[in-house]
Amino acid sequence: MNHAEQDLAGRSHAALEDAVLQTALKSATDTFISRRREAVAGVPEWQALRARARRVKEHTINNLDYYLEQLAEKVREHGGHVYWATTGEDVGHYCIELARARGVTSVVKSKSMATEEIELNHALEAAGVRPIETDLGEYIIQLAREKPSHIIVPAIHKTREQIAELFAEKLKCGLAREVAEITAVARERLRGEFLSAGMGITGANFAVAETGTIVLVENEGNIRLSTQVPRIHVAVVGIEKVVPRFEDLSVFLRLLPRSGTGQKQTAYVSFLNGPRRRTRGVEADVASRSSEQGQASESEFEFHLVLMDNGRTRILADERMRESLYCIRCGACLNVCPVYQKIGGQAYGWIYPGPIGAVVSPLLQGLKQAGELPFASSLCGACRDACPVDINLPDLLLALRAKVKEAGADVGVARNFAERTAMRGYAAAVKRPKLFAAAGRLVRGLARLVSKDGKVRSAGVPALGEWTKYRDLPAPRGGSFRERWKKKR
Amino acid sequence: MSDASRASDKGRVFADDERVLADEGRVLDAVRRALGRSETARPDPLEPFDETNAEGEAETSREELIARFTFEAGAVGSHVHRADSVGELTDTVARVCADADVKEVALSGAELFAELNLSARLAAHGLSSFAASDFGPGGREGLIARLEGCGAGVTAADYAIAETGTVALGSDEEGALLVSLLPAIHFAVLRPSQIAWSLGAVIERLKAERMARAEPCRSATFITGPSRTSDVELVLSIGVHGPKELHLIILGE
Repeated sequence: MNHAEQDLAGRSHAALEDAVLQTALKSATDTFISRRREAVAGVPEWQALRARARRVKEHTINNLDYYLEQLAEKVREHGGHVYWATTGEDVGHYCIELARARGVTSVVKSKSMATEEIELNHALEAAGVRPIETDLGEYIIQLAREKPSHIIVPAIHKTREQIAELFAEKLKCGLAREVAEITAVARERLRGEFLSAGMGITGANFAVAETGTIVLVENEGNIRLSTQVPRIHVAVVGIEKVVPRFEDLSVFLRLLPRSGTGQKQTAYVSFLNGPRRRTRGVEADVASRSSEQGQASESEFEFHLVLMDNGRTRILADERMRESLYCIRCGACLNVCPVYQKIGGQAYGWIYPGPIGAVVSPLLQGLKQAGELPFASSLCGACRDACPVDINLPDLLLALRAKVKEAGADVGVARNFAERTAMRGYAAAVKRPKLFAAAGRLVRGLARLVSKDGKVRSAGVPALGEWTKYRDLPAPRGGSFRERWKKKR
Repeated sequence: MSDASRASDKGRVFADDERVLADEGRVLDAVRRALGRSETARPDPLEPFDETNAEGEAETSREELIARFTFEAGAVGSHVHRADSVGELTDTVARVCADADVKEVALSGAELFAELNLSARLAAHGLSSFAASDFGPGGREGLIARLEGCGAGVTAADYAIAETGTVALGSDEEGALLVSLLPAIHFAVLRPSQIAWSLGAVIERLKAERMARAEPCRSATFITGPSRTSDVELVLSIGVHGPKELHLIILGE
């Protein structure tokens, strides 16, 4: 899953040097920020909705066992199957066995972070079941054999020219010039896939415990096609996606599209309660088949809910980190993050990018594997302000940094003797006010000594190299904050 | 159990397999352990929430609802038509179909259409129609092929939301779901009385009338504008997978 040989710094440097990516990121994040701002301004009760959404999530997560049992029971009552997967491999095995048992050779998939997280496509391909991503952005990513760079717009790092060339090469079609032509090619190719696929695999935005309803939010219509054309629908859903009551949806369905794309409502929201019922014509169809072939079940609709843990109970067990499970995957924190704005999603190295990714990737993948991510944040707090469920992301990032250090991971480590000494000195001084004041005076004096034209440059102090490589430290002027505060009073 | 023996028992394999049940126990145990308890306890229900909608709907008149619905639907690329009679309704469908060179339309099994005698009225305009509620001799595949071949589908909406220009279709009927999805043009007919101000009001009605009953409705869809994507350079492109045109016809009493 970690798709880079380089470390985070290496990947970030590569991203910063990629001019196409920089233009795309700037335009995408600017657009999403302004659309979101406008959409939120139209809802005067926004803060009350956020607080309510957070409360619902908190209540649900704290009673997750109860609501999951209720959900599973309801889905079974409607005639759906429920499978509980501890790991991503379990999900893969289940989907593959199901496909084999039903003779399914191709599967239409709609964008799902859960199945990206577990790399379900690899497992399906290895088992000879062909997965076809049907969200336009995901389709592009699949053809290019890449990883998504944004939760909402996976192919945001690609230009129309690059996509047109990709289509021409992989789909053997003419070179499209307009975006509309690209869309038309995808529509035509994918419609054929929808009509011939034996199974549709989706994620879910919400799963309602009291009614057993799976809720899917989208703009393209590919989710509707994936769930309504093939006979079998499998929804792979993280266990944190459950909400208690049907009414709870109205708060979330107002928050999610406005936060994600700045829309008041997406083009489609599907509410699914178990498998579709057969209508008159189909029953006749089934009867004739069963008399001819004795295989009535092949004509029936099936719904399978796969409830996936894959590390989520580990997060649940950690009371400090638990609130990261409130996330509804809107992507708003990505767009406002000054780090994401510059390095994009792929540089994070894991499927979940941005501030929420910097929290959940280390928790899901392990502190040793993704422990450097919590350090890639300025802790400015823009992510928390943008979060529709008010997750305290800066606080989680800070707490995770401490955890990473405690776990002894090799990140956030001083690079040389001078830096180590400075950090130890700081740690010692900060606890003793008098020493801190004296040390401050000393350091300010030294800094003024080595400064030139009011700036401390790395040439002056080699040990500060990494700190001043891309920015100058202004030379200190006047006294410390505490000295000035004293005077003011 | 081997793959082969599983595969032979097609109907039940994935329902109550021993391994499936063991997996259920394992995940639920992990959840309970993480929450620090050994048994699931029924929680106190969440305190109620008054989803105050600042614009309010109590004192909104029917005409104001229609005006807002029309404005919001138009803003996302839907075409809104007013029809004061069934004659105007069929005129609208016929005109749009003629412009798009559509010769055949699919009708959902809505009772309204039988009451209005819609099929015969469309035939008078030279438009042939078929009911997608009955799969006919070709079975499901036959219907899907027919829906792919015809140019437009007509459905009856169950609810509408003024705040967002949304129509909601709640249906069990396989045909009705596909009628609003496969053809390139989708007409949804709605009554002014079906328009509510907010999402919250429709969610409540949908739950009470369709989702929380003993035999619940198997699916519902909220539709807000034609199919769209901005996946390429954030450029809006209409009609990527679903209908390219959405016509909402408000049929007056």
